[in-house]
Amino acid sequence: MKGVVKGSKVLGYRVVDEGIGWGEISDINDLPLGFSDIQKPGFYRLSKGIRFRHNLTSPKLYLHPPEQLVSLVLPNYRIVGDDLHIDRVILFGIKPCDLRAIGILDSILGLNKHPIYTRMRSSIVGVVVEECLEPGETCFCGALGAGPSILQGFDIAYARLREDLVLFKYGSDIGKEVISRANLVKADRDIVSLYQELIDRCRKTTETRIPSINEIKDALKKSMNNTQLWSRLSSKCVGCGNCNYVCPTCFCIEIEDIVSDGLSRRVGKWIGCLTYTYGQVAGGHFRPRLYTRYRHFVLHKFLFYPMQINDIGCVGCGRCITWCPLGIDIRDTLREVVKNG
Amino acid sequence: MDREEEKLSIFAFRRAIVVNEIEEAPNVKTLAMKFSGDYNASPGQFNMIYVYGLGEVPISLANLPKSVGRSTVVEHTIRNVGAITKAVVYRISIGSIVGIRGPYGRGWPLNEVEGRDILIIGGGIGMAPLRPTIKYIEKSRERFGRINILFGARTPQDMLYKYELDSFKSIPNTKLMLSVDTYSNGWQYYVGFVTDLINYVDTDVDNAVAFLCGPEPMMRIGVKKLLDKGFRKDCLFLSLERRMRCGVGVCGTCQFGQYFICRNGPVFRYSDIEDYIWVEGI
Repeated sequence: MKGVVKGSKVLGYRVVDEGIGWGEISDINDLPLGFSDIQKPGFYRLSKGIRFRHNLTSPKLYLHPPEQLVSLVLPNYRIVGDDLHIDRVILFGIKPCDLRAIGILDSILGLNKHPIYTRMRSSIVGVVVEECLEPGETCFCGALGAGPSILQGFDIAYARLREDLVLFKYGSDIGKEVISRANLVKADRDIVSLYQELIDRCRKTTETRIPSINEIKDALKKSMNNTQLWSRLSSKCVGCGNCNYVCPTCFCIEIEDIVSDGLSRRVGKWIGCLTYTYGQVAGGHFRPRLYTRYRHFVLHKFLFYPMQINDIGCVGCGRCITWCPLGIDIRDTLREVVKNG
Repeated sequence: MDREEEKLSIFAFRRAIVVNEIEEAPNVKTLAMKFSGDYNASPGQFNMIYVYGLGEVPISLANLPKSVGRSTVVEHTIRNVGAITKAVVYRISIGSIVGIRGPYGRGWPLNEVEGRDILIIGGGIGMAPLRPTIKYIEKSRERFGRINILFGARTPQDMLYKYELDSFKSIPNTKLMLSVDTYSNGWQYYVGFVTDLINYVDTDVDNAVAFLCGPEPMMRIGVKKLLDKGFRKDCLFLSLERRMRCGVGVCGTCQFGQYFICRNGPVFRYSDIEDYIWVEGI
């Protein structure tokens, strides 16, 4: 792929010292090919296998980094230009839910609205997606149509049927060219139907893990003012914001001035709506109670995002469930809301 | 900053110099800030004001912008409530530089309400975004009906724009009513909540709109009283405030329901936000 898209670097989930992180992939040994993950509410482990789904990172780490330089300002209020050179990037091995999340970020931050996001986004020149054939315990992509397979918006997609059998498909002219150059064997009917069977099973397993979107929306509208319900649903929450930071679509930032070496670096930093300072202003606080912040997280994803961008803001990746230190499961919350709505 | 950079970053501000300051009340100053270039803003819109090394705050325009040669002068009334506003009130003075970018948001729907009676209700620092509205109406007086202005402050000392309240009163076909929560010597007007004055308003409810800005509890009480009085839901307009970092809809922190206060507001039609304004912490 690098041969076709010249002058680019490859980013994705990669093996690091202690496990799997996110970063530049320079050769095949960087890919997490020999790993599976075990995910449960508040639980994440790696084991040997071929079913790596994702970790606490996502393409958001590149597109909308945790710290981003907004501007450099001199004490005389002159703005200093920054170095604009950014490599062209191929995303490799991201998941269907990750790609859907990029689509959501495009809608909310793209279209030249956020200059840094727009710059990073336009550096992506290739997308290679790994489809999922076996969902993790916390996955619910099928319910949101964000996985396990993918139909558009990629160059190449592949699915690991067995350790020694990978099925590739192309989604663009670039993808077609790369695949045709790679000397692959055309998949026979048996292989394609095995692939279809695994995808279908994966979709069926994940699509019933939350109530239907319409039920959820109606129930959220009705229960918005139910303090008792939301206090109960958020009773385990400690307001750490981990769900926000691992969420591939959470985008809120704080802007901080960091002064050193005779200039002020204005830095955008992720801020999670679950954390106490979210909603705090000089002289007051609009969301001092934790239940209101937990409720905002859920309402935004399932009720307000559709009103903002005509799409649910959740991709069903389950990261917020896996990485919640208390194991709070948004699927339980949605079920409870629907039951009480 | 050259043109190229300006285009590049929505976070780029203009360098402005403070050319005038007025001590409005304890902890409150009105600053006039001048910068080069054209600038258009409607009453109710806001700017992001930057103080070097500290950051930015969203502040409503407190007057209509003025063109002075090739420059523009804008006014902002700022109360010391946090780190940045403290610096503005106590460190920034005539000759100081600040950064300004804007105007942002949607202001009061003045075009839409031409020909109608207007009720203006401001509490505390909430008087600031209403001041350019009054000045706008004064300039195009024949285009609007009867004006009622209700301004309230905590104490007589805290009342803003004391020096020009008489001129508001002398705008043709205008009624000005003032209130303070706490009486002190010499106060000749109402003592109590500014929203109590709604009882004395003489607008034609069937052909009137109301503009409200102030603390949210005040605006909620105001909305209740106005609805009781017969105002229609879609004729009430509220200017809201939230934590806000960018002013252009990318930082996400000013979200209120499906709205970004910075882009869809800060002025909202009550009928668009009635599902949210009564819900704690939405």
